Amino acid sequence: MELLLANHGSYPRIGDSPGQQRLRRAYAQHERGEITSKEFDAIQTSMIQEIVQEQAEAGLDLVTDGQIRWYDPISHFAGRLDGIKINGLLRFFDTNFYIRQPVVADQVLWKGPVLVEEYRSAQAVSPKPVKVVVTGPYTLARFSILESSRYRDLPEIVAAYTDALTKEVEALAAAGATLIQIDEPSILQHPGDAGLVKAALSRIASRKGRARLLLATYFGDAAPLYESLQAFPVDALGFDFTYSRDLADLIARRGSDKAIAFGLIDGRNTRMDRTEEILLILQRALPKVKGSPSYLTSSCGLEYLPRDKAQLKLKRMAAVRAELAGRG
Amino acid sequence: MSRAKLKGLGIDLPTFPTSTVGSFPKPDYLVEARAKFAKAKIERKELEELERRATAFWIKTQEEIGLDVLVDGEMYRGDMVAYFSELMPGFEQSGLVRSYGNRYYHKPIIVGEVQWPGPMTIGWWRYAQGLTKRPVKGMLTGPYTVMDWSFNEYYPDRRSACLALARAIRREVEVLVEAGAKIIQIDEPALSVRPEELPFAIEAMHLVTDGLPAYFIIHACYGAFDAIYSQMLKLPVDNLDLAISHSTLNLMEMFRRDPFTKDLSLGVLDVHSHEVEAPETVRARIEKGLKLLPKELIWIDPDCGLKTRTVEEARGKLVNMLAAVKVLRAESGVN
Repeated sequence: MELLLANHGSYPRIGDSPGQQRLRRAYAQHERGEITSKEFDAIQTSMIQEIVQEQAEAGLDLVTDGQIRWYDPISHFAGRLDGIKINGLLRFFDTNFYIRQPVVADQVLWKGPVLVEEYRSAQAVSPKPVKVVVTGPYTLARFSILESSRYRDLPEIVAAYTDALTKEVEALAAAGATLIQIDEPSILQHPGDAGLVKAALSRIASRKGRARLLLATYFGDAAPLYESLQAFPVDALGFDFTYSRDLADLIARRGSDKAIAFGLIDGRNTRMDRTEEILLILQRALPKVKGSPSYLTSSCGLEYLPRDKAQLKLKRMAAVRAELAGRG
Repeated sequence: MSRAKLKGLGIDLPTFPTSTVGSFPKPDYLVEARAKFAKAKIERKELEELERRATAFWIKTQEEIGLDVLVDGEMYRGDMVAYFSELMPGFEQSGLVRSYGNRYYHKPIIVGEVQWPGPMTIGWWRYAQGLTKRPVKGMLTGPYTVMDWSFNEYYPDRRSACLALARAIRREVEVLVEAGAKIIQIDEPALSVRPEELPFAIEAMHLVTDGLPAYFIIHACYGAFDAIYSQMLKLPVDNLDLAISHSTLNLMEMFRRDPFTKDLSLGVLDVHSHEVEAPETVRARIEKGLKLLPKELIWIDPDCGLKTRTVEEARGKLVNMLAAVKVLRAESGVN
């Protein structure tokens, strides 16, 4: 059973050393009009290169661009669609992180690829394959305010975002992305809407070409939804193990028909995860997982941690796998 | 019921007692001084003198406006969690973490047993109370919020971290009571983020307040009240402070389902808006509350701390709040 090490998604974009704060300074300079957008973009690219390198050096098989260019996981994609305006700040789940809320003001239309260039430029500087991360249509819809009378309810907004994301995924696959992760944390808060998410993913999956689709859930207990998720049209399922007491036992008992992204490294706390505890879960669960490859990752994006701790967490992932391999 | 408790504590308040949630805007001279202090360009003593000057300004301003229960205005605090975590043994500061856009902050990390370091707020409370005959509230951040806004590397889980913090915070409440504080507000803005954790948040609040002779208010800011409302009634406090100024909640329906059993502070000013609400607007918001509960149970305040407003906006909003209250008091035949 192959187990790859993958960064989850976001990554701290600044650190505490002056060099690691160049993006923060550039952001402020760009806002004040002291540097051009092109200059700002070059600094973002250099930071992406630095963090991609940091991930590769830690021993990861799959890296991400850290979502360095994103304001937040919601407004980055939604804000680049026709028909969407961006509103004020809203707390993102139970974190101390705030997103800007999209307003569905008119017909939602995809104008062209949002993430393809980001994927290409990260891949160009990365020694390892880049995993692409997008926020799924259901979570985008859950964070949106409906103003337009073109849409009546949540399912219709989900359908509109699904249209846009289907085209985005098709463009990403055509550009060579091999693994595309769709983040749907909101489904754990609203398990009754699993059917809605499944239908949306079916449409997206129909255009994924040869890319693998990974559905990532986090910030909640996925155990109650585990059985239904097994029937979702994706290649792999991602779970946050920090919210669930039962998930590890459930996987060990029931097995999985799909590959699993084991979010066993706590992305929300600076405490270093205990290798033994993670190994115990992997040793019980991995033999019962049919899909391959599976992934070892963090419970969520690492941007909720300071940079030094995020880096240590990546190294801990590599240490866990080395130990697992050593034990055969 | 709670009014009797207040009388027992020697505090007689009019109908619709008015208060504020805690923080006021810092005058420009204090903002500048704090920046200079951060760069080690002035001594702590100089900063403290200006903090005292600003505190005195706000006590006088609150008296002029006519508020009944005053606050010290938190001129000496930056962040409501960092203020306490920087004083309490057991905490360290993390590297920078992003909050939104280009905003970053140092998040506290619990690295050892959290302890009460000795009085953290008493000096400021005494100073503020010494400037006025009206009651000044003791103001503390609650254990659940301090826990939720910190990393935890020491305690085995969130509950044990929260309960340990509660034991330390109780010591501060005890000394506030000894110093003479009769009304104590515990701020718990994080309370509603994980409804499944409310049972231990309530357990923690018992550790903080049980058996202590004071009138306790819990300020919970915005959040998913519909999910946690019925459990919130189990909080061992006398007064729940809820933000209703722009709430879309159907409080009426919630109160019908589970009758409200405490005093209610109605947050009737939107602190996140620059607009100085007209007295009629405030009055309409209070009347919305009066449809829910008898007037004896209602306190009136803004929906959160006013520190993000300008001094003039804060003053203007409160003056209009008091104007609305005055009319309603007259109409209900009380003064």
